[in-house]
Amino acid sequence: MSDATPSGDWSRTAAARRKYNLVGGSILAVVGLVLFTTSFLLQNPVPLTVRAAIIIFIAVGIAISAGLLRVQNPQDVYGGMALILLALTAFVASNDLPGMRGFAFGPGTAPRLFAFTLAILSLGVVVGGLLTAGPDVSGYKIRGVVFIIGSILAFAATIRPLGLVIASFSCMVICAAAAEDVKWRETIIVAAVVTAFCAVLFPYGLNLPFQLWPRFW
Amino acid sequence: MYDLIGNLWLGMGVAVTPTNVMLCLVGALVGTLIGVLPGIGSLATIAMLLPITFGLPPVGALIMLAGIYYGAQYGGSTTSILVNIPGESSSVVTCLDGHQMARQGRAGPALAIAAIGSFFAGCVATVLVAALGAPLTSVALLFGPAEYFSLMCLGLIFAVVLAKGSVPKALTMVLMGLLLSMIGSDLETGAERMTWGVPELSDGIGFVVVGMGMFGFGEILRNLEQPGTREIVQAKVTGLMPTLPDLKAAAGAIGRGTVLGSMLGILPGGGSIIASFAAYTFENRISKHPERFGRGAIEGVAAPESANNAAAQTAFIPLLTLGIPPNPVMALMVGAMTIHGIVPGPQVMTKQPELFWGMIASMWIGNLMLVVINLPMVGIWVRLLRVPYRHLFPMIVIFCCIGIYSLNNAPFDVSMTAIFGIVGYWLVKHDFEPAPMILGFVLGPLMEENLRRAMLIARGDASVFVTRPISATLLGIAFVLLVLAVLPSIRGKRDEVFTE
Repeated sequence: MSDATPSGDWSRTAAARRKYNLVGGSILAVVGLVLFTTSFLLQNPVPLTVRAAIIIFIAVGIAISAGLLRVQNPQDVYGGMALILLALTAFVASNDLPGMRGFAFGPGTAPRLFAFTLAILSLGVVVGGLLTAGPDVSGYKIRGVVFIIGSILAFAATIRPLGLVIASFSCMVICAAAAEDVKWRETIIVAAVVTAFCAVLFPYGLNLPFQLWPRFW
Repeated sequence: MYDLIGNLWLGMGVAVTPTNVMLCLVGALVGTLIGVLPGIGSLATIAMLLPITFGLPPVGALIMLAGIYYGAQYGGSTTSILVNIPGESSSVVTCLDGHQMARQGRAGPALAIAAIGSFFAGCVATVLVAALGAPLTSVALLFGPAEYFSLMCLGLIFAVVLAKGSVPKALTMVLMGLLLSMIGSDLETGAERMTWGVPELSDGIGFVVVGMGMFGFGEILRNLEQPGTREIVQAKVTGLMPTLPDLKAAAGAIGRGTVLGSMLGILPGGGSIIASFAAYTFENRISKHPERFGRGAIEGVAAPESANNAAAQTAFIPLLTLGIPPNPVMALMVGAMTIHGIVPGPQVMTKQPELFWGMIASMWIGNLMLVVINLPMVGIWVRLLRVPYRHLFPMIVIFCCIGIYSLNNAPFDVSMTAIFGIVGYWLVKHDFEPAPMILGFVLGPLMEENLRRAMLIARGDASVFVTRPISATLLGIAFVLLVLAVLPSIRGKRDEVFTE
């Protein structure tokens, strides 16, 4: 959608790549195991094929982490594996939904149809990633993720009990910490101004039912 | 022809009432303002401003939303030219030549040509929407569920083929979108699907939640990763008017861009991004001096700008006639229409003619306003861009949060958006394109509904999709497109293998 794609020439040393695969493969295996356990908690038994697929998925995860499978294109392998996991999750989640009744679709038919196609296509992506080389997944900006996501969650947690003023001010301050070149004095001023602007614009200007101050006031 | 003029006259009557002109102006202005800011696309803009229109009458609300839409479309090009940052994904290609022109001190003509091109394309597209609206409505009557399903398949394949990157990966994205759209209550039986017992999920995941998370927050996370240097053209924008040779050079490009953009806009899955890319490539191919492209060729600004504006408007055709949103922004329009009690589709034109034609007429007025407000206000937009990103993104985040919260007054939605922000960031890191996913998500429920209906009518016989002629043609085109797209990539892969 935009031109801001991660740089393609990002690459790791062999040791770093082994570590990346160790962690990545383990995460896949663990999440697969969680899904496998969940599949026993449903009302109707999950079909054997789905269970077998989950077991194979876990095995592939372990093989990646142990370095038994050569991950040539990490982007495709991990991306495809995650999508297969999503498809398997959809199979488990839609397990209790009735399928075809005669020639009429049941509520479970379409989800399983889409999940099946997704699994097959993702499998193709994974296999492609094992056979042909590709760029590494570039490093994550943990600082950005933590503070941005944290600020959004803070907004979600505070908007009801504490009102718009506190929620938006705290959200903006937490959010600003995501930038490496954060300047606190400026940030506080900007946050205060924007909060004041929002406090006037949304409840009064646009007549939306926003609560401005904490409930107990 | 007489009907057309009569209808447009009726529309003008609705659109030029003082309130509606004001709404159109406010919409275009706000749209431009947000379009100028990098990081918020027209999608997020409309989502954010949707609540504003709740209190307005339906016609006014839609006129304003449409104004925001093409305002954002136009604002994006201003930033492309002046700072080399596309404010809008559809103006990515405008950067290539537009910014070069600005560096050569020709920012004025570049901006003017973008405005003139957009205006011309807007005029043509408006007439096209008016002219094609009625005949297409009758085509819509020929469409059964099987045809609708095939048409949507074609749209999705289009999105896949034209997305950059690998075709199989884009296909997986479409399916991911389809799968996510299945979450929530089943339309026919009301059964809870894949909600894991979470009551907030029983209505499904909101489209705005996914879109804003993937594009709004995901984009910010990505931008923080590469603190790009911003070079703003500091020189004063002087000499707005393009010279006569400029106009001559641009005229053909504007015309071709308009035609290409109009065609691509109608197709589901097309939309303005693809239109602008296609128009630029086309100009480059047919140019006698292709080496000038990327070094400030005026055609390189004129063609994509007219194409994206034309596409932005003709995208209303499938929405207003068939009721199918051809792109994510139009899907949001469906949401807006539904809130105002209008069901998009062929019946809008017959049942609410003043709404239909009023909206079309307002498109033209909106385009005129864009030319009028943008050229004198360029200086203001430039000043806005001097706000450092470290202050800009918290503002974007807070406006997005408030926008999402105000849709349903649900903090849960806000948290979900955060999750989709991470998902979007993760997908891009693994080189998956989120745009096909969004389209799959939008079309998912419609596709399932039509698939189910078609199968029910055909008594479980899946061959109905290839035995009905219109449906078979649509699927055939989709298939050919897919094969054409996959072939070179297979060959490319093979080459890679062989060179190793």
